[in-house]
Amino acid sequence: MTALLSLDRVSKTFTQGRHEVRAVDDVSLDVIQGECLAIVGESGSGKSTVANMILGIYPPTAGTIAFRGEALPAARTLAHRRAIQLVQQNPLSSLNPKRSIGASLRLPLDVHDLGPRAARAARVGVLLEEVGLPADYARRTPESLSGGQRQRVAIARALACQSDLVVLDEPTSALDVLVQARVLKLLNDLRKGRGLTYVFITHDLSVVRNIADRVAVFERGRLVELNPTETIFSDPHHPYTRRLIGAVPVVTADEVRLRDRLMENDNERA
Amino acid sequence: MTAPTLAIRDLTLGFRGWAGQVDVLHGISLHIMKGERVALVGESGSGKSVTARIVLGLLQQLKTARIGGLVAFEGQDLSTLSARQRHALRGTRMSMIFQDPTSSLNPVYRIGSQFHEVLKRAEPGISAADARRKAQAALADVAIPDPARALDSYSFQLSGGMNQRVMIAMALANEPSLLIADEPGTALDVTVQAQTLSLMRALVEKHHTSVLFISHNLGVVREFADRVYVIYKGRIVEHGRSADLFADPRHPYTRALLSAVPRITGGGIPEIDDVSESYFAPMVVHEGCGEPGEVG
Repeated sequence: MTALLSLDRVSKTFTQGRHEVRAVDDVSLDVIQGECLAIVGESGSGKSTVANMILGIYPPTAGTIAFRGEALPAARTLAHRRAIQLVQQNPLSSLNPKRSIGASLRLPLDVHDLGPRAARAARVGVLLEEVGLPADYARRTPESLSGGQRQRVAIARALACQSDLVVLDEPTSALDVLVQARVLKLLNDLRKGRGLTYVFITHDLSVVRNIADRVAVFERGRLVELNPTETIFSDPHHPYTRRLIGAVPVVTADEVRLRDRLMENDNERA
Repeated sequence: MTAPTLAIRDLTLGFRGWAGQVDVLHGISLHIMKGERVALVGESGSGKSVTARIVLGLLQQLKTARIGGLVAFEGQDLSTLSARQRHALRGTRMSMIFQDPTSSLNPVYRIGSQFHEVLKRAEPGISAADARRKAQAALADVAIPDPARALDSYSFQLSGGMNQRVMIAMALANEPSLLIADEPGTALDVTVQAQTLSLMRALVEKHHTSVLFISHNLGVVREFADRVYVIYKGRIVEHGRSADLFADPRHPYTRALLSAVPRITGGGIPEIDDVSESYFAPMVVHEGCGEPGEVG
């Protein structure tokens, strides 16, 4: 149980003129090596701000973020950037439309100088096959792929530089439910196979239930609950967590019973 | 027996392009009785939104669209109407709510003047003062706390949930008999989405409005609709009452779709094919759900 990444009393304040917004307020949490930690919350809860700080897009206003026990500097080194990678929500806008899939995947190999130059083209093919796409897709453009295939390419790109921590920002919310199931399966298999650590940012609690080991619930920039997934869904401690679960649209009678039970507890405690 | 609010029979749609014709709808039939909430559920590209656009009479104006079959609104065949007559139906007898409320409102006009425009569709001579009074009442109906202030605001000054309520109020302002809701609330947070849906449900019940509810979210459909049509690649594959269909999905595609939805009770991520020959199996119709005028 070693912490790969730890946030220690991290805050982020955005200032616009005289107006101040406290997007993240005094958040401390550890991401354990090999786990999938879900960060959930509504829009404006600060979950994306946390992701951006982990990635080093902007530094925290206060507090420190440590990776493998060492504080991360505001200006990240190449090694940090290699270790922490991102998969975004919309793969069509995160992949360069003018660049072939192969070139997009080759770029991180060149930037981080991984492996002998001559072997990199073959490496791209292996990466594509690892995410369930044929190796000859390297010649295609993002435009010619479906949404699910594009997201697989985005995942392959995040893995290309042998990253340790992958920040997944709503990776499946733009996908159809059948495609979502397959991409989630792939993410799960890759994590186990490669020993990856995920920070999974989403607002979809039913996805969280099936992929995360622990869940951090954010409300207006504050971390209100951090517990194992089992606990969050069987005995959520914070009323906000119960409200979130209570609002999830469900498809089976079992789920309705679970939801009703949680809402009942909420009324009793209130 | 009165005519259903909406009856679609053997509707086909193709787009003629440079490489020949692309068929999008392969003969779908559906009906909505007065006051009924009917959902059309399917993945992206299955033909849900084009169906809505045909009902609104928007695709008929497109030169490349080839439309066949019958669409009857309150017993009247839409293909016999002129473009002007179809235009007159929109915003008065039928109206639509879109997925993203913020982008469907014009950011350079105040909510109040946009509301006035909407009310003018039904009553061209309505005065600004009358329109404002009506709009305030309509906004109060959708539980907007300070309607006068909302009317003086621009859409970007209101939250997504507020904008969605404004859209619902506008869509129902002229008491349409058919409301088409295309993925309403998908762009909103779950808690706000749940509130918006229950609000919409209460309002359409009160006004006996028929609703064609288009969605890819099975959970939302289950909570909102009386009857469900499942559409796959331009074909209806299953049709039944919500309770029956969700308790006992019979078509292979519906089953796959349902099992792909992650459950809050857990159970992991299922192994499912995203394409399968069995998804093209013939349509399954649940008991008592035949199209009107059909045998059985």
